[in-house]
Order: sequence, then structure tokens, then C-alpha cells
Amino acid sequence: MSKVANEDQVAEFVRAAREARSPFEIVAGGTRRQVGRPVGDLPMLDVSGLSGIVKYEPAELIITAQPATSLTEIKAVLAEKGQRLGFDPADWSRLLGSNGAATLAGAASSDASGSGKLRHGGARDSLLGFRAVNGLGEAFRGGAKVVKNVTGFDLPKLMCGAYGTLGVLTEMTFRVYPQPQFATTLCLSDVTPEEGFAALRKIALSALEPAGLAYLPGNMLADVGQGAALIKLEGAAQPLEEKIALAHGLLGNAMHRIEDDPFAAIGCGEKFADITGDIWRVMIPRVEAPRIVKELNAKYWLGDWAGAVLWLAADPSEGPRIRAIAAKADGQAMLLRASVESRAALGLFAPQPPALATLGRAVKAAFDPLSLFNPGRL
Amino acid sequence: MLLPPTDAKIVARRAEIVASLREIVPDGVVADPSGLATFDADALGAYHQMPLVCVLPSNRQQVSEILKYAQAQGVPIVPRGAGTSLSGGALPREDGILIGMGRMKRILEIDYENGCIVVEPGVTNLNITKAVEANGFYYAPDPSSQIACTIGGNVAENSGGLHCLKYGLTTNNLLGVTMVLPGGEIVTLGGKCGAQGGLDLLGIVTGSEGLLGVVVEVVVKILRKAPVTRTLLAAFSSVPAAGACVAAIIADGVVPAAMEFMDRRCAEAVEDYNQPGYPPGAEAILIMDADGVEADVTHAVSRITDIVAGCGGTTVEATDEKQRIRIWSGRKAAFAAMGRIAPDMICMDGTIPRHALPQVLEEMAQLAEHYQLGFCNVFHAGDGNLHPLICFDTMKEGEFEKAEAFGADILRLCVKVGGVLSGEHGIGVEKRDLMTEQFGEADLEQQHRLKCAFDSQGLFNPGKVFPTLSACVEQGHIHVHGAQLPHPHLPRY
Repeated sequence: MSKVANEDQVAEFVRAAREARSPFEIVAGGTRRQVGRPVGDLPMLDVSGLSGIVKYEPAELIITAQPATSLTEIKAVLAEKGQRLGFDPADWSRLLGSNGAATLAGAASSDASGSGKLRHGGARDSLLGFRAVNGLGEAFRGGAKVVKNVTGFDLPKLMCGAYGTLGVLTEMTFRVYPQPQFATTLCLSDVTPEEGFAALRKIALSALEPAGLAYLPGNMLADVGQGAALIKLEGAAQPLEEKIALAHGLLGNAMHRIEDDPFAAIGCGEKFADITGDIWRVMIPRVEAPRIVKELNAKYWLGDWAGAVLWLAADPSEGPRIRAIAAKADGQAMLLRASVESRAALGLFAPQPPALATLGRAVKAAFDPLSLFNPGRL
Repeated sequence: MLLPPTDAKIVARRAEIVASLREIVPDGVVADPSGLATFDADALGAYHQMPLVCVLPSNRQQVSEILKYAQAQGVPIVPRGAGTSLSGGALPREDGILIGMGRMKRILEIDYENGCIVVEPGVTNLNITKAVEANGFYYAPDPSSQIACTIGGNVAENSGGLHCLKYGLTTNNLLGVTMVLPGGEIVTLGGKCGAQGGLDLLGIVTGSEGLLGVVVEVVVKILRKAPVTRTLLAAFSSVPAAGACVAAIIADGVVPAAMEFMDRRCAEAVEDYNQPGYPPGAEAILIMDADGVEADVTHAVSRITDIVAGCGGTTVEATDEKQRIRIWSGRKAAFAAMGRIAPDMICMDGTIPRHALPQVLEEMAQLAEHYQLGFCNVFHAGDGNLHPLICFDTMKEGEFEKAEAFGADILRLCVKVGGVLSGEHGIGVEKRDLMTEQFGEADLEQQHRLKCAFDSQGLFNPGKVFPTLSACVEQGHIHVHGAQLPHPHLPRY
């Protein structure tokens, strides 16, 4: 394990690894090491020293931080000024059984968004600019520190969800958003998946700008009969009351308010932390959710993003079947938690069609020609 | 502006290339000089070049065949939507095939339940909204050329518009594309659920200015139209006060749907032009939309009004839809109105951090003094996207060169204060040679290598976006002569 504390040291390490043709694993908080295809027993580059806020400009709604800054720290810093990250970064550490501290770079690199993605998009929509070291050992930057920019290729998008396979991040600039004064969750109880998802879609198609839309069957949430549609709304006091009234009007059903935010345990997979089996996230066109839920036939599952993502626990033997169901719906089944063997066999996502896979490899090689960074993980 | 040298050997093979393309697209090859003249420029009117040949495919198989042919023969390709690019992205090459996507304009599927629409690339931006507005939906990005520009072009340029402060650019509203790679392979990136199952190549293709392939199908989000929209007009007695007010509103957490700035010179020209009713004597005005559910809008309007007052400004609200449209009509006519008072004009495009607004406005005034040229400021203030308009007269010896130098200095100033060369018009040929102002060698080389991953032969839109080593420093811009913009029927804002 080599520890680095700044960009120069990262570059020096990468150049040495390049000389030695020695691939390595990039680790910050280490909470997501068990996600994706195992990279094997490789040397580790510990970047946890690259931590801390570089510059926070609340009036610009922009924050620049080092990549290993913990989500806890950045959320606290933003909250002091009544702001938050737009992509609702999901900390998967409980789900994955890690004691580490989830970081900004980890969340963005694994495209880990919670339920709030509905409102302001994913990490890709919030990362404005970054600095990184590529596989040649050169420091480079992409994007910028302004909210509207079309200068050159939009590299920040590419870094999100790349699982550290394109470069070692050394600095990140995010757009941030005002934290609404109030939030509340409405619960439509004792509804079937068909009824529940239909209600969620109605809200998704409204102008209410919901911050969470999930369906949980009765075995995933107490006292909701066969299942519940949960609707999270935000705003200043008066506007929030109006939105709640509008939601009631749209659905024409009796809904009650839930005081504690149930979405806190939904978006980060905590609901599945104590459930055995492989944990999947199946991303699909949301209207397909009720049909695909039936087809998947899982005992433990829930649907977030109005049905566009289904979380489920499954026996390790079920992988190919789940992948086939997702593919038929033009979706993607992501294997989030599984044994080393399952992850090695199934990968994080299904193999891509040949032309796309070739292109993906060429793009990877454009950043990391010797495949030094987290080889094989994505 | 130097483009990579023309390959005379390709030009000499023109007849054979035209014949081969006719075999692929029998009814869609334009090769006669008068037909080709239609395609000799985009909206960056300072540059003209007749293409070798123009081909207008009707389906993705034809696109794939064309690209396979071009690659096998080593012929450059320039993709084109409606030709409304303001940075020369669709400027043809004498030795290149111009591939026009205008005939692929079918709306393939409207899927309200999934909140998206699937279209071919030649569908215009506005026609997407028109297809869904009867059901209360719309497509959010609204570039000023939306009546003409195509969604394929929007993907290529990552187009913005008045409302991207709240609703994002094309990239934030795009769920998927199907594209043909330079080698003719057809790939799909994303789709209705947005997930790609691998690297976010969709993010790279968006805004790639025709350097990576040809998009043949697009899936974008459609949104429910906000039930309430209110428009405010704020007037200030000084430019810095207006700049400070913009920063204060953003800092307060209010997100207006649009927030536009005009300085006195521009506001007066507009008032003369179409009488939108702007307050006389104001040094700067802001036009703002707040949209959403009623209580949200009420809250935003009251916050904005208080902040404007705190910054020493006064606010007027449009009382009805007619007045709302009238206030906006002035903003939308700004380019045309300025074109009346200056013989020629160029429009710049850069983004700055919002807090730097007062400093940049001050330094721009000093630059204008230095160059002895008139200019005015009109821009998307909420996201710091400047569109300074520089006035000059081509009939006066050396003024065009002076205007270009002034424009380049403004962009350097944007970069100096932490901003960027382009907020929404793209780099194209216009700003290509300024890329080194914003990016270092390693940054540009990394982008080059990414380009090569898609286009190993370098046949796609050569000479655009990335500077060549031998390039001269000359720049081009939207050139307006005698109030005549290229595509004069299009509003520009």
C-alpha cells in the first residue's frame, strides 16, 4: 500500500507503476472495493490523504474539494450554508459491510445516487470540473468551475461511473443546490405494485418536483399492508403545504405523512443490509416496473425513482435470469453486492454489444493505455 | 483561420465519389454548384466553403454505408443539422463529404408514462415541444434558433437557451442516442431508462461538435409545463448594482427559470426597435421568470423583489400574458436591435463565475475604450453566460480585425477570472485557436486521444475544436452586416 498526499505524488506513483507495468487498485475510503469485477491481489494506491475542502463558494453554488473528502464532511460543510449536493450521493457502506468512510470520489466514480436523483440528476449532472492523473502519469483537467460550459469534450461526465478506471482523481468541483427549508413524505398505504407505481408515475409527471418516489412491499416497511407508495416533497413552508394538497388532489387517495425520512434507508441500500443473497439494482423504463417485478419474482425488493430502479435480493444462481429480464426491457442489471465468485463471473453490468465494447476499450486506452487503474473492475 | 490543407487528390476524385454516394443514396446527393451553395456556411457567416459534395441520407443504414465508404476512401466527413451553429461547427470542407441530417425528421415514439420522446436527429427543437404540448408537456432546452435548429445539432453542440439555469443544457435532458461511428458501426448509448451499463459515452458524445460520429436517433426527457409562470423586470441605476443583484439572488437559493441582463445601450436600442416598455434611464435591467406551482412562484417573486430592492433596484411585474410576452420580446430582439445601430456586429459567448460580473463588465468597458469600438452587454446572467455584442464597420479599414481582437480579449478575460471560452455556442472554428488559453498541453492531448478512440483516422470534422500547431491567431465570429444576420428569420438571444 502506497500513500499519497498530493497530485505530484500521485503522478510520481503512476509513472513508476507505468515503468514497472504494474497495475494497481485505487482506494480512498475503501467502502466500495467489493463492487464490480474483482481486480485481484494488486498493490493499492491509498489516496485517502487527498482530503479536504479546497474552496467553497456558497454564493456561486459551487464547491471544490479533494476527492477523498468524506461525504459526511462535505454534507456538513454545505448544510452550514443551507446547501446540499444535487446528486444525493449514496453511501453503500452499511449494505457492503464496510467500516470505512464513503468519499466524494467514491460516490461519483460509482455513480451512486440516492432517491433524490429525481430532482437534480446524477453525479454526472453535478460534477462541473476535475483534476486527475492519467495512465501516462500526467496531470490533466476536464471541465471547469462554472455552471455552463461547452468548451471541449465534457470529460466530467465520463469520470462519473468510471469506477476509477480512467484516472486518479485529485480535485473535484461540484455544482450544489439550496437545501429546501422543509421536506415531508406522504405514504399511500396498502396498495399493489401496479397501483403504487401508477401513483408514483402520476406524481413524476406533475410539476411537483418530487425528491423521492418509491414503492415498498409490505415486507420492507412496517404497517403498510401489502405495500406503500412513498412520495417525498420539498419546499418552503407555504409552498410545501400547497404541493401536499396538489398531490392529494392528483391521487385522490388518503395519504398520511411519515415523520422520519424513509428515503434515507432506501437510496443507500440499507434496507438490504441484513438480507442475504446477491443484491441487484435493475434499471428499466419506469412504466415496466410492475411487469418486471412479477417476472423477477423476488422475495425482497423495492422500487425507487418511480420504478426506474428496482432493488432486489436474489440467489447467486439467478444472475443470468435477472440479466436476461433487464436486457429484454432495454434496461441494465447492476450486480451491487455479491461474492467474489459471482462478481468475477457476472461483472458489474452485462457485457456490451461488440461494437460498443470495442469503443469502450478504446476510450479506456485513451486515458490508461497500459490498463494500470483498477483493471477489469468495470 | 487555417483549416487542415485540402487534399487535392480527393478533390480530383470528385466525380467518382459523387457516383459512389449516389449508389448509396440515389435520391439524396447534391453535387451541382447552385445546390451546394446552400450548404457553404452555417450561422458563423464570416466563413464560407463549398463542400466537395453533400449527401442527405434518409435512414441509419445509409448513414452507415456513407461512413464506411468515406473511411475506406479516406474522405473527411462534416456532419450538419440545420446549419445554425454559431461557431462554425458545420463549416464544410472542399475535400469533405457534408452529411446533412435534415431528411431524418420523424418523431418515432412519444412515451408520456416514461416522460420521454424518441425522435430522428433532423426533428427541430421546437417540433419536439409542439408534438407534446397539447398534453401539457414540453422539451426544456430552448436555444434561440429553436424554430430551425435540429435535435441532432443540439446534441452535437450541447445547446442551452434561456431556461438552462433551472432546467439544464441538452446533456441534462438527454437519455440516449443511437449513433453511427466513423467506421460505420451502429451503437446505442443509454435509452429510455438512461442507464448505459459502462462508461458514460453519452456524456462525451453530447457537445462533441461532430467530431465523434453521426447521431441517428435521440431520446430526450419531456417535462410537464409549470402551471404558473410570472415575469419580473428589474431596473438598476448602475451596472455593478445589477451584477451584485444577480449574485445575491443566486446566493439566496432562489432559482429563477430564466434571468437575463441587458445594459443601457442595449435596452435603449431595443426600446427604439420594438418598444417592450423598458424603464427609461436605467443603466441595467434584469428580466426574470419564476415558474412552478403557485405557492413556489409566489415565494420566489417575493424573495426576488426584496433582493432587488436591497440592491437599490426597482421591480415591475408583468400583469398579464400579453405584457409578459412584450417584456420578453425586447430581450429576444436584442441582436436585431443592435444590428440597426451598428453597421456590423459580432456576438461573443463565454461564461464567468457570477461573482466576477462587476469586474468583467468594468474591464470590458476599458477594452472598448482601448479599441475605440462600441459594444453592449446582453446575457444569460443567472449562469454567468455572457454574450457581448461588438459593433464595428467593415467599410472602415482595419475595424473588423480590431473587433476580432477585442472579442478575443474578452474571452481571455473570461478565462482569466476563472471562466470558460464558451457557455453554449461551442468552439468550432471560431474559438479553436483560443483553446490553449483555457487548457494546457496535457489537457488538450488527453482530449485528442479521446477523439482518436472514436475516430482513429481523424476524418470527422477535421480542423474544428482543437487547434493545429500551424494555425494563425485569426478568429471569426457571428458576423452581422447591415442588421442582416445569417438566418435573419431566427431570433438570436
